[in-house]
Parts: sequence; structure tokens; C-alpha cells
Amino acid sequence: MIIASIDWGFILDHLPELAWGLVRTLEVAAIAIFGSFVIGLVLGAARAHRIPIVSQLAAVYVEVIRNTPILVQIFFIFYGLPQVGISFSPFTTAWFAVTVWGGAFSTENFRAGFEAVPYRYREGSLALGFGRLATFVNVTLPIGGRIALPASINTYISVLKNTSLLTAIGYAELTNVSRSIAAVTFRDSEMLLVVAVTYLVLVWTMSAAMRGVEARLRLPEVS
Amino acid sequence: MTVPDWVRPVGEYIFREGLRETLRLAAIAVVASTALGILLGTLLTIRSRPLRAVIRVYIEVWRGLPIIVTIFLLYFALPGLVDIRLDAFAAGAIGLTLWGSAQVAEATRGAVESIPKNQHEAAAALGFGWAGRHRYVILPQALRRLLPPLVGLQVNVIQNTTIAAVIGVAEVLEAGNRSVERLTFSTADSHAFEIFAFVMLIFFVISFPLTRLSAYLERRLV
Repeated sequence: MIIASIDWGFILDHLPELAWGLVRTLEVAAIAIFGSFVIGLVLGAARAHRIPIVSQLAAVYVEVIRNTPILVQIFFIFYGLPQVGISFSPFTTAWFAVTVWGGAFSTENFRAGFEAVPYRYREGSLALGFGRLATFVNVTLPIGGRIALPASINTYISVLKNTSLLTAIGYAELTNVSRSIAAVTFRDSEMLLVVAVTYLVLVWTMSAAMRGVEARLRLPEVS
Repeated sequence: MTVPDWVRPVGEYIFREGLRETLRLAAIAVVASTALGILLGTLLTIRSRPLRAVIRVYIEVWRGLPIIVTIFLLYFALPGLVDIRLDAFAAGAIGLTLWGSAQVAEATRGAVESIPKNQHEAAAALGFGWAGRHRYVILPQALRRLLPPLVGLQVNVIQNTTIAAVIGVAEVLEAGNRSVERLTFSTADSHAFEIFAFVMLIFFVISFPLTRLSAYLERRLV
């Protein structure tokens, strides 16, 4: 009864527009995931090594982002910042907003990962004559990065899902495109089911792929 | 120091109307998702395969979907699919509860499974059945371990109540939105910077003590 009321032909007719929306979603998600990774790596290392000033600024950044809703952050960037003379194009606003959020969570993941590396490993590296940077690159990063991996995976999946919130500022990604089609055709059920299934496939695929990577990179010592 | 004219009415609207709606939505979603999540998470440790499969699907679906899509499904798609019409508040509360309970269920499963097997065996040896074993032995210990992540998850539920703004629930963010719109029409200046900064501040004041509490409990209890 439920399936019967769905107009499959209608979905097929609008597949090209939805595919375009999906590409826009993936585009923003890819930039934001990469950006979050870089921010997290740099600031997480600064936090874990207590680099003065950078570490404190990073802590403030993380606390502000973690303790405020991402949707409000998006509104603040899109409507609030232009008021003080900082305006971005819709595309820049889109990836910037989700990257700022992901970067904060990623910083926290990497900080925890790097801090979990036993101090004796770093001592060993320093005793072998490696400098601080070489110790980080050869010891702390490969071990701490793997410890941070499960939490990082969850953050990146959240970043992908968060791109759907960009519909609230009218950025044409998958969710927004489906709402636009529904607005002129009144086919809300068809559109939302397609969108829901698409997100589930994306999230489940990404999650399975990342668990595969995680299993490959697993440290023998850290169960 | 003089306060500009627009500040008082906007502040009052966001606080009186918006914050009340946010707290109402948050209270329902937090309580419902905690109760439902702990129940589902505990049932997930049962040996019955079909039951576990059903709960797993529930968790993976509601955790996998962006909350905004879940809320849209409840609000816009449900009438066409099964002829159920929810008002915006109900759609928001149910959507948040579906997501929150899936998260809590997963955390509960982890906490219950972290209790050593010999605790189950010892309780069974004392003559407890499944229900008694969980009620008196396993859950009291598991809940201690669950508490820190639970507080963290519920902070997210509280923050995500803002998503209900998208379907028009007049919570804090939507109250801020409407204020910005009104000011844009009545005066030339929208004051979006100050208003959304204020909305962020409100959530910071609510969330920060709770994330601190979660970190404190993590150190104390685990």
C-alpha cells in the first residue's frame, strides 16, 4: 500500500536534477572533510604539544564550536558576518561553515590521539637523536593518528551529514534540490524517500570503507 | 551606557518565547531518547537474533540519516505515505528522539558489554533471571559507565533542537530569525551579527557546563 502510492516514474524524471544536487553535496563534503583533517592535524598537534598561544587559541576555537549548534554557526556565517563586512559567495559559505565545525571536532580527535601515545615512545625517538619534528612525524603521528582514527571517521561522516543543513540557507545541495522539486510538484514523499535512501547509502558505504581502512591500519598493540 | 531601542524587544522575544520552546523541545527529546535508548541498547545485548536485527536496523537508519532529513520525512512525507499529519513541534520532538535514542542505544550496548562476563555468571549463579540480572547487577554498573557519554550525547540533542527551526518551530534560532526579518523590514539594519551571536551565547551557556560535567564524570566514574 505504501509502495503503491509512490510514483516511480516521477522519481526517474527528476533523477538528473537530484544527481546534480548529490554532486554538489559530495563536492562540499569532500572539501570540508579534507579541510577538517588538515585543521585537526595541525591544531591537534599544537594542543598535544602545548605550543604556547596556538594551543590556547585552538582550545577556545574548539570549545566555542563544540558548545554551539552548527545550524546557528551556519546562520551566523551566512547572515551575521556580512554585517561586519565579511561576505563570502554561497559556495564559500557552504564549505567554510561545515569545515569550521569539522575542524574543531577533528582537533579534539587528534589531540586525544597524540596524547595517548606513550611518552616512552617519544623518549626513545629523542634518545635515537631524532629532533622534535622528526619525532612527531615518525613516532607520534603514525601511532597517535591511528588511535584517533575511529573518532575521526565519525567526525567525517558527521561532516557529510551536516552538509544537509546548508539547505536552511538555500544552498542547492541534495536536500535543498529535493525540497525545491517538491515545492513545485507537491511530491514530498517521493523526493524525501529518494534523499533519505541516498544519505543512508552514502553514510553506510563511507562507514564500511573507513572501517576497512581502520582494520588495515590497526596497531598490533592497541587491540 | 545606553542600550539601542531594538535590543529589548528582541531579547525578550528570544528569551520568553524562543527559549521556552527550545527548553520544552529539549526536555521531551532528552527524556524520551534516554529512556528509549537505554531500553533498546539493553535489549540489543539479548541473544534473540530477530529482535537484535530489528533494533540494529532502527539504530543504523536513525543514526545514519541527517536529523534534518528525518524531521522533513516526519513533517512533509508522512502525510502522503501513511496519512499522519504531525504539527511542527511534534515532528521536531519525534525526529530528535529517533536520532537521540539510536545514539543512546549504541552507547548503552557498549556500556553493558563492557561489564565483565563473570558478573553475569555470578548473578545467574545467585538465581537471578535475565531481568533481575540486569536490574540489580549489570545495569547499575553499566549506567555508571554510560553517564559521561550520555551527558555528551544529550548536549548534542539540545543543540540539535535548532534544526526544528527549519520547519518553523519558534525556538531560539527561529525567534532570532524572525527578529532579523522584522528588523530588516522596520529599520534598514538586520542586526543579524548581534542576534545570531546572542543565540550562540545562549547555547554556549547551556552546553559548556554540561560538556565540563561530562568530562568530569569521565574522570570520576570510569
